Amino acid sequence: MSKSIAFKTLGCRLNQYETDALASRFDKNNYRIVNYDDAADVYVVNTCTVTGQADHKSKQIVRQATKNNKDAVVVVAGCMVNNHREKLEESLDNVTYFVDNEEKSQIFDLIDAHYKGEVYHPKKTGNSIFSYEAADKTFHTRSMIKVQDGCDNFCTFCIIPKVRGRATSRPVDDILKNIKQVIGFGYKEIVLTGVNIGRYDYEGIRFEDLLERILELPGDFRVRISSIEADGFSKKLYELFRHPKLTPHLHLCLQSGSEKILLKMRRMYTAKEFRRIMDDIWKVVPDFNFTTDVIVGFPGETEEDFQETVDFVKDAGFSHIHTFKYSMRQETRAARMSDHITNKLKAERSEIIRKLADENKENYRRSFIGKTQQVLVEKIDEQGFARGYGEHYIPVKFKADNVQRNEFYDVRIDRLEVEDEPVLVGSQRL
Amino acid sequence: MKSTLEKHYKIQQIRSLTDSAYVVRFDRNGIKFLPGQHILLGPPNQIEAREYSIYSGTEDDYLEVLIKEVVPGNVSRKLKRLEVGEELMFDGPVGYFTLNMRDVLSKKYYLIASGTGIAPFHSFVRSYEQLDYTLLHGVKYGNEAYERDHYEQERYILCTSRDEEGDFNGRVTEYLKQNEVDTDALFYLCGNINMIHDCFDILQQKGVDARQLQAEVYF
Repeated sequence: MSKSIAFKTLGCRLNQYETDALASRFDKNNYRIVNYDDAADVYVVNTCTVTGQADHKSKQIVRQATKNNKDAVVVVAGCMVNNHREKLEESLDNVTYFVDNEEKSQIFDLIDAHYKGEVYHPKKTGNSIFSYEAADKTFHTRSMIKVQDGCDNFCTFCIIPKVRGRATSRPVDDILKNIKQVIGFGYKEIVLTGVNIGRYDYEGIRFEDLLERILELPGDFRVRISSIEADGFSKKLYELFRHPKLTPHLHLCLQSGSEKILLKMRRMYTAKEFRRIMDDIWKVVPDFNFTTDVIVGFPGETEEDFQETVDFVKDAGFSHIHTFKYSMRQETRAARMSDHITNKLKAERSEIIRKLADENKENYRRSFIGKTQQVLVEKIDEQGFARGYGEHYIPVKFKADNVQRNEFYDVRIDRLEVEDEPVLVGSQRL
Repeated sequence: MKSTLEKHYKIQQIRSLTDSAYVVRFDRNGIKFLPGQHILLGPPNQIEAREYSIYSGTEDDYLEVLIKEVVPGNVSRKLKRLEVGEELMFDGPVGYFTLNMRDVLSKKYYLIASGTGIAPFHSFVRSYEQLDYTLLHGVKYGNEAYERDHYEQERYILCTSRDEEGDFNGRVTEYLKQNEVDTDALFYLCGNINMIHDCFDILQQKGVDARQLQAEVYF
């Protein structure tokens, strides 16, 4: 009987890409992929350490691993291991292997050796962070493609440069090959991921150049850029949004609307520049969708600073905001700053941004009524509705008659329905 | 907890500039960098480290950093106690506070520093012979004009806020308010956060576009 394996991924799209690639390799080697809540022979937790909450959640999930099989092999991998390995080794006694980011791509070899009664020592080669095979079966309809890893921005609040290392760009040919493979597997949407993809630079090929080459690849697919910082790329990127294969959406990380707080965070842009980037892209695609991250309660954030963020967010109309309450990460510059904000105030500010974000989201989505979205169907629900995302990365459902999963459909948007979140409801254009 | 610093380099020289500021020169060992980048520097076998901009030029066969002893501040004090022949540990270089060669050949630059924020500009001037620059250096006292002879006299303007030994008596922000600037130039600012923030406001009020401003905050 084949071995069973369960995965749990926390945090960013890069982690999702890595888990997808790992799962695909286990699948190819006759492991049965089961749910994390089910009994499995092996559990792999791909952790996140970006906030204290992420650490807490990662540990909680690791502890749950052996609930259904106390003899399971438990692998804890990723950023939390890079950040707290020694402490984790002391506190998590159900873990068989701790694997850091540089070794993560070799988890299959590690487990394979384990069951053969051998010992495998993961190798930290220069390229190991990119040594993932193209995934044919994944947990997602979209195929994530890792183009870059690490970050050299050293924002004062951020632990990522410590856990993901220096900025490294994956060779262009590897990326193109990976994309051709996943298109061959049948994927219709490619999501470019990395820690700081705007800083992609492989032998002088910048992110915009890479993107241009990807868009030139033949095939019926579209390309989405995941999270990107508002620095590092040129205006050439804006023009690329005219390309029909490039989806009109960016998760452009603002963090704060206060110039002073942006400087304290050591961000590489001003609020003014950030807004100009948005305006310039709107000139190319007027209904472009911007989503963002905001940190509230950064050390020294005054009422005035916070109000500047509120004003910025309101004016910019981000259709979705990930709001983070500032979380102190040891060994970052911000941890040593004075004027830390109370949790109560952080919660209040977070709630204000959340409400604003909800209003923005509904207004933005409502603006699509009467328009057409090209929807990539992810599933057909029990009520017979096909559900998926339009090119603007907004959720759409429509009555499914002869509709296939993982196919594009032109859907005319008729109305907005508020479920857990506002969903556009439409009808298929024939 | 382990240090993330992996490279060990031998100290060649320590040059004292004031009671608290000094330049440490150490082996370069072929390390490549762009002027304006910084390194993470720490004493050997310690977990503490701190970022320092590279002070030396790209053609120098050594690396230098300009350090000011800060109280409280473990790294700068421990580094000061090191002697020639001892080792430093560092990681990097990293950072994007760098110049574009095309602009170096065609644009005018204002380099605006407070205190040891002059370090990356020292590297700029040492590395780019063609650089057309005006350097505003804001310090409290005249003796903090770190190695001013390195710069062409007419390009270096010392602004002193606590004595009258500067070319201008007052903060760099005051200098900018009182003097015309070429609004087509590029402005690089390095040092104290309040200085940078205030300069941003002043320069934009004078008509400088936000895209012409680059900053590196020192903490």
